[in-house]
Amino acid sequence: MAAPCRRMAGRSLLQFVSSFSRTSVSNSGFRQFSSTSVCRGSNQAQHVEERASSPWTLMAAVCLQRLPVISAESNPIEQQFRDMMIQMELEKSMLSDHELRLLDDAERLRRMQAGEYDSDEEEDRRDQEIVLAQDLEDSWEQKLNNFQPAARVSDSEGDLGSLQRCLSDSLLLLVERPVGMEKLWMLPQTEWQRGETLRETAERALSSLPAASGFKATFLGNTPCGVYKYKLPQAARTESSVGTKVFFFKAVLSDAGAPPATESSQLWVTKSELQRYVKPAYLRKVERFLLGF
Amino acid sequence: MNAVFRKLQVSATQQAFVLNQALTTCRATPSIQHPVWASVNERQYKSMPTHGIGRWRHLLPKDPPKKKRDRPQMKEIVVETETTYATLNVNVSGYDMTMVEHFSQHIHNLCNRLGIKVLDCYALQTKTTEVWLMQEQGTKMSVDSFLKTHNRVVQLRSLNATMCPIFLEVLLKNQPEGVQLSVQEHTEVDYKTRFKGRPDLEGLKAKIA
Repeated sequence: MAAPCRRMAGRSLLQFVSSFSRTSVSNSGFRQFSSTSVCRGSNQAQHVEERASSPWTLMAAVCLQRLPVISAESNPIEQQFRDMMIQMELEKSMLSDHELRLLDDAERLRRMQAGEYDSDEEEDRRDQEIVLAQDLEDSWEQKLNNFQPAARVSDSEGDLGSLQRCLSDSLLLLVERPVGMEKLWMLPQTEWQRGETLRETAERALSSLPAASGFKATFLGNTPCGVYKYKLPQAARTESSVGTKVFFFKAVLSDAGAPPATESSQLWVTKSELQRYVKPAYLRKVERFLLGF
Repeated sequence: MNAVFRKLQVSATQQAFVLNQALTTCRATPSIQHPVWASVNERQYKSMPTHGIGRWRHLLPKDPPKKKRDRPQMKEIVVETETTYATLNVNVSGYDMTMVEHFSQHIHNLCNRLGIKVLDCYALQTKTTEVWLMQEQGTKMSVDSFLKTHNRVVQLRSLNATMCPIFLEVLLKNQPEGVQLSVQEHTEVDYKTRFKGRPDLEGLKAKIA
């Protein structure tokens, strides 16, 4: 399809500066994304000539994913290997400063109790003697016990509309849209309009979702990652519309905002659950660019 | 002169044999094994036909002699085109050094596998943060811990626009906890921050100017 691809080639690439951090869980499990896209002069004015309009309608869809919040659980082999490596590294390692201090203190205590201890002979008398290394270790242990980590498996497992499920997998946004006679599950899409790039169409598709008031997404690039085309049934075909081509763009969720109020037309699914909702032909094309299981 | 003749002899063994035979016809010398021009106190092996068979360094092009103080030059920043990005810096930072280093190695290996060219892979300076705890009673502050932030940079050359979303998604999905990832364009300023400042030199320069 000549139109949008050439437009994308003609327009300079958007430079983007993005940083993804994964430390604090302050935003209910989302990574902090900060991205600035610097747009370098669009060349839309250069498209003057009319090209023969193609019978395909173009649409852009957004593949919005919530990335995993916690690392995946390891299978038994990985667990065993990890334990073995930890043990090996512990055995091969040298003593750290703290452990040396522990040994010194224990030694000094033993000498004090045995009566051979002469405080005048002691070298390097510092105030640190007052706080033994063992006490420090005890206070650290106590602090660790006071810390309660959050549960790995939240209780909203069954609720397919919730974003808190499957924290170790990535979730994909699906919406239900009426197509022809029936309602189908698909990735959010809108039609391409003249004068905008396909990526802008995808951004528009995302912001036009009914529950998308708070969605903040970072698009990962200017190029689509997949395409799906379908021809209309024979009866509905006309000269000007043979079918539709849908281009998919990848985006990563950075902020969900307010949860939608019992929105039944919107789902967050993992890749394995996708086949329950989506048509087989569509699924075949979408699965190709989804990473994961 | 002798050396020249010896080389000629080494390279053409069958000619030597013929020459030897010719010699015997010309002169009545009984020895055939020793050529005439080899003197008595020469080592025998240098006249072997296979002498110098492994020599290869004379075939290489001559390198220019290296200057003693070679100032590190900045590699050229690749200009961005319509289908590729400019030089990108993938910056991995965090408190845990093993995680940071392993993740940066993972990125490097991934780029090798995917065919993304890696210009450079270096480490930035480690920044240490001192964490001071306030005591509950009183105003005394005590040192709690030292936190070191480690930084590793993988510099990518001309990342393809079609590869970009796939690459970024793989990075994001494999990002470990406690590690921050940042992708930026490489600038001169980034390069200059890697070097230590020279305050005395700058002071002298300011005095001159």
